[in-house]
Amino acid sequence: MTPAFSAEQSAFSQRLTEIVGSASVSTDERVTAEHTVDGLKPFVVVFASSAEQVSQVVKAGNQFEKTIVPWGSGSRQSVGPCLARADAVISLKPMNKIIELDVGNYTVQVEAGMVNRDLHRQLAEQGLFLPFDPFCTETSTIGGELATNVSGPSRAAYGTARDIVLGITAVSPTGDIIHTGGKTMKNVAGIDLGKLLIGSQGTLGIITDTVMRIFPQAEVNRSLLLAFPDAEDAFQVVSRLLASKLTPGSVELVDRLVGHHLEPAGGPPLEENGVLLMVSISGSREDAERHQKDISTLAEENKVDSTVILDGTEVNGIENAYHQAHQSLFTSPSVVQGKASVPLSKQGEMFRAIKKTGSKYGVPVGVTVHGYNGILYTRFDASVADPSGIINDLNGTAAGLDGFFMVEAAPLQFRKNGAVLPPRSDYKLMRLLKNSLDPRNILNPGKLVGGPG
Amino acid sequence: MIQQSFIKELTGIVGRDNILSSRKDLLAYSYDSTSRQEMPEVIVFPRSTAEVSGVIKAAHRDKVPVIARGAGTNLSGGTIPDRGGIILELSRMNRILDIDTANHRAVVQPGVVNLDLQNALAPFGFVFPPDPASQEMSTLGGNVGENAGGPHCLKHGVTSKYVYGMEVVLSDGEVINVGGSVEDNPGYDLRGLLIGSEGTLGIATRLTLHIIPKPETSRTLLVIFETLENASQTVSDIIGAGIIPGAMELIDKTTCWAIEQGISAGYPTDAEAVLLIELEGLQDSLDRQVRDISEICQKNKVRELRIAKTSAEQAALWQGRRGAFGAIARICPQYIVMDGTVPRNKMVPTIHRVDEIAKKYHLTIALVAHAGDGNIHPLILFDTGNPEEIVSARKAGDEICELCSSMGGTITGEHGVGLEKLHAMFTQFSSADLSAMRRVKEVFDPEGILNPGKLLPPEEDESLHETKEVAG
Ligand SMILES: Cc1cc2nc3c(=O)[nH]c(=O)nc-3n(C[C@H](O)[C@H](O)[C@H](O)COP(=O)(O)OP(=O)(O)OC[C@H]3O[C@@H](n4cnc5c(N)ncnc54)[C@H](O)[C@@H]3O)c2cc1C
Repeated sequence: MTPAFSAEQSAFSQRLTEIVGSASVSTDERVTAEHTVDGLKPFVVVFASSAEQVSQVVKAGNQFEKTIVPWGSGSRQSVGPCLARADAVISLKPMNKIIELDVGNYTVQVEAGMVNRDLHRQLAEQGLFLPFDPFCTETSTIGGELATNVSGPSRAAYGTARDIVLGITAVSPTGDIIHTGGKTMKNVAGIDLGKLLIGSQGTLGIITDTVMRIFPQAEVNRSLLLAFPDAEDAFQVVSRLLASKLTPGSVELVDRLVGHHLEPAGGPPLEENGVLLMVSISGSREDAERHQKDISTLAEENKVDSTVILDGTEVNGIENAYHQAHQSLFTSPSVVQGKASVPLSKQGEMFRAIKKTGSKYGVPVGVTVHGYNGILYTRFDASVADPSGIINDLNGTAAGLDGFFMVEAAPLQFRKNGAVLPPRSDYKLMRLLKNSLDPRNILNPGKLVGGPG
Repeated sequence: MIQQSFIKELTGIVGRDNILSSRKDLLAYSYDSTSRQEMPEVIVFPRSTAEVSGVIKAAHRDKVPVIARGAGTNLSGGTIPDRGGIILELSRMNRILDIDTANHRAVVQPGVVNLDLQNALAPFGFVFPPDPASQEMSTLGGNVGENAGGPHCLKHGVTSKYVYGMEVVLSDGEVINVGGSVEDNPGYDLRGLLIGSEGTLGIATRLTLHIIPKPETSRTLLVIFETLENASQTVSDIIGAGIIPGAMELIDKTTCWAIEQGISAGYPTDAEAVLLIELEGLQDSLDRQVRDISEICQKNKVRELRIAKTSAEQAALWQGRRGAFGAIARICPQYIVMDGTVPRNKMVPTIHRVDEIAKKYHLTIALVAHAGDGNIHPLILFDTGNPEEIVSARKAGDEICELCSSMGGTITGEHGVGLEKLHAMFTQFSSADLSAMRRVKEVFDPEGILNPGKLLPPEEDESLHETKEVAG
């Protein structure tokens, strides 16, 4: 069924057809409904296959004053503040190729619609690896992941997208193709617009391709799974690791809710209030031996219950299980997913406070922690009596620890009503930037900018 | 022109002991580490954020240029007051406010000298990884202003990776905080935008930095080659083998010779090139790394591989490397430092072409490089008494910038654009790229008072240059 359009909408769709061809424009109910964001259904979906096409589409958006929602796979559309208006969705799905794999320089340039998992698989076949492993779905695209600045366990050793990305090509909100950075390890020419685009949630530009650093796969990859009956002891181990000379690949802590899902992949069983500390080790044989020895000793000194060491393909198994558990528990539509960021030494305290808040409201709150970054992800069912009470409490606790808490993903009504972003002194400047770079407010209006002053 | 009443107003803000305006004093702040010189109108030394804000408010009202300055060691003309105005010298905001090893964090004022922070961290067994070779003088504010690198950025990454957040005075005097004292702050990455913006978007008045435990052990290797080609091929091969040393510096014969004229650092004076490689990490793994690297060196016809036996030997080699620019200055006071960076596997052809450019213009071009990152510093030597040679040196510099761009690289890897590389910006960016940057500048600084004329080339000049073709 094709709904009735205004003359203006038809003219805009017509223009889109001229740009990408009729096969790549759809006003079909079923297609537009699939691309609904925050309850807003676009009247047209356009599939772009080049930066040039994206540029033309955005120019048309400006000309016809139609708003545009950039779309990777749709997995992280409902995060942050609500979208205000959605006329057209531009899907980058056809832009899913590796542009250049430069092994001698250890960089890869990919189109933004490339699925991260596909990229990982293709790199692995050549003995290479990309230390960018955000908790996303099987279908999440690199462009979407950069736009939302998501990250995963490897950030402990390699940093976030802002450290791994060397260059970005993007289409500005007025339709210009802009290049920032390049394929060199260092680059300080001009203003670093790439940093601005990463995490801008499609409000300042549509990323069309990127160059990222890659690395050869390590000689040894191991995973140490350490079960602690008491969270306190697990966090104690993390503190001592942080003060040591060791350089683990990642350091994750999970509670029983998540830990339970890791058992089939080899994870040790946890007690009711137990915590699983997962340390990945990657490096030379000698490095791995030393890490394993020292970390095991630390764990034993801190009342570890049981220790499992995984090697080779078992490591992939547990990593996949972890990603899947995170995915299914934290990103289901009926869940309020939050994120706390606190100083490293306050992680244990924040963890306990989250659990206590859950008990206070009679709601189980699941938690996973990037133990080398002070980041704690929380999840609870949105159906509970008083989500805003929990959110307020956690805001207060995190602020008291010199950090912050924010709701990332949640059913629409919570993101509409509550302030989902903590207060900051730089929002005004962010709004001015948005207004200046996107004078007609074409790209993702309402998203991100506009938190409390 | 600044009026006497304006100077009086500034004196009221910073106090009589913290302002200079005599001709002799102005002269001392008329240059940086490049060869240009222009006179400022007044120098102020604020001691607090409030004073910085007060000075900026006055400047904003009267539209007077304000040039933030740390130690003036930048190599791009970034602190040259070519439009007069105020030099905002931050060297008196030099307190380390907090060292918090449990949270891997240090809070400092911008005027703290990089090495002073390193020395303060040493007793705790921590380091701040960015270590520009100028670290004995350059300030952390200046490191942020340029997004400085340094030898050890090969393994650890550059300044932007080690700044959690900062307090910033905006062009109208408002004080805001960007980033934070923890990770993943919501909103746009204004922190990332400000780092490397060369004082054109705001003045950093307090920095929250990320510090890390010092590696357990390190080993310094001096590898000596008969040809530059063999040395740079070795770099590519080491990177290609997946080994990332802490640092990997290339130094050519001219520079080795110059270093050894000043101090006995231990460099040979008769080899075409050496690599200074520092391996760091757990002691368990270093022996094998040394073996792997020496195999690669053998394959590339190494003359000799020496491993520093004592920490004194290690320190001497590094002192020599850090003193390289100074050493060249002793043999030839005037030279242009280039800072192009190319993909790591393009090092060999790039260095080859630099050599051809030197021959074409009959110039001596010495070479130092943060080689593991593909960041090369050709030093173009010239005689200020020879007008033709000055012209040749400038032309050679332009060609090297173009060369690095054409190799898929950048005109500057760490020293910044400043005034020196303004026009080279056109070889790297399209007019759409530049206009997006200008918009950002206008949002932060609508009156154009913060380090005006630096970093972004004037729009009017675009027609004089062929800007980079926009790729489809
Ligand atoms: C011998 C020698 C070796 C060097 N080696 C290296 C190297 O290995 N790696 C490297 O990256 N660089 C190197 N440099 C260049 C230079 O030292 C760096 O750019 C350094 O970061 C500059 O620091 P500074 O304190 O001298 O800053 P300045 O030169 O005073 O200022 C640099 C820029 O930052 C701005 N600025 C200063 N303070 C602030 C502030 N608080 N807020 C905002 N903007 C500010 C200024 O306006 C200017 O644009 C070297 C220089 C020399 C002379």
